[in-house]
Amino acid sequence: MRRRRSIFDIMWEYMEELERRTDELMREVFEKPSWDLETRSLEPLFNISVTPDEVIVTADMPYVDPETVEIEKLDEDLIEVSAKMRVKVTFRDLGVRHREGEFSCFRCRVPLPVPVEVGKAKIRVRRGILEIRLPRRRGYRIEVE
Amino acid sequence: MSALVRVVEKKSVPEGLNMLQGIPDVGLVGVIATSHIIFNLKMEEVAYIDSDLLPPLTVLYEGLPHSPIRIFGNDRLLALVSEIAIPANALRPVMKAIVDWIERKKVDKVFSLGGIAAPNRQDIEKPKVYTVASNEETLKFLRERNMEVMERGFLVGPQALLLQYCAEKKIGAVALLAESFYNYPDPEAAAAVINALNQLIEVPVNVQELLEKGEEIRLKMRDIMRRTRTELAQMRKAREYDIPSYYVA
Repeated sequence: MRRRRSIFDIMWEYMEELERRTDELMREVFEKPSWDLETRSLEPLFNISVTPDEVIVTADMPYVDPETVEIEKLDEDLIEVSAKMRVKVTFRDLGVRHREGEFSCFRCRVPLPVPVEVGKAKIRVRRGILEIRLPRRRGYRIEVE
Repeated sequence: MSALVRVVEKKSVPEGLNMLQGIPDVGLVGVIATSHIIFNLKMEEVAYIDSDLLPPLTVLYEGLPHSPIRIFGNDRLLALVSEIAIPANALRPVMKAIVDWIERKKVDKVFSLGGIAAPNRQDIEKPKVYTVASNEETLKFLRERNMEVMERGFLVGPQALLLQYCAEKKIGAVALLAESFYNYPDPEAAAAVINALNQLIEVPVNVQELLEKGEEIRLKMRDIMRRTRTELAQMRKAREYDIPSYYVA
């Protein structure tokens, strides 16, 4: 039997949604670099497309070690993708001499536009481009009250 | 409006040369290819673009400031390259000013290097290169050299405007479009476009290095690709996927 949602549940959900929207807005207003010295990671370029059966996420990951790709489900509609690089890259390698630090992995958070089965994801790496195929979740039934 | 954009010459620029262009667009194909040619032919900066419509930034090289949109040259060739995505709302005045300058310099032919997004790019081993001409004479020039001509469809962005403004001024212009990724830097497509360019004019550069350094180039071009993607969305680049109307010839 379904539990009736209390006013507190609704308020909590509302606050969560508000927090998410604020995060999105902050990301747009306060731009951040495409690298993170703390985690020594680079944010890869990524793309999301939706087909009738799958959500396909690709990410451009030059120097990636295909064996190290990991996907972590952070939320129903958010995954974190990470992978190690075969080489370490410094700012100097990227042509920047006034910063110090090196990077050894890629990391990005990918919002999922529709519900998927993260556990059934299929991964392929070809010419340094990661492709993750996530089957869309099926079997919804709308209950008639 | 084009008075808001100035082409500032730093050196005397010879008239009647051919000109290459590489402006950020899908896969950064034009920027990668043109930069590779400028570097390998050791071309010198001869002019730059200045405009209030561009973001307030300067590009530092060896400790000195430079415009992000520059024209390089030698005694045979000119090459314009932009290191920033040109803001969508500045694109028309900037391209108009460039074409006005091209007319003043009596440029023989303009070759705009770029890409055309292929959704299945990951499965394409050798990207095809399509061409578009600004007028009948240039179209004939392409057909005589057995280039694949894009007959119908939409072009959106800097190359579209270049062709349109060059057509108005009866300047011969060619857009070379290699099949490429939409929003990932694509050095392989850049190599393909240079090979195709060499079927039209002689540009003696080795593309092998471009292919060998592919991963390094992709890593270095991430940020400019990210900015370009935002501008491409603003200019509705995805219209290039649209099927053109059937009845209007």
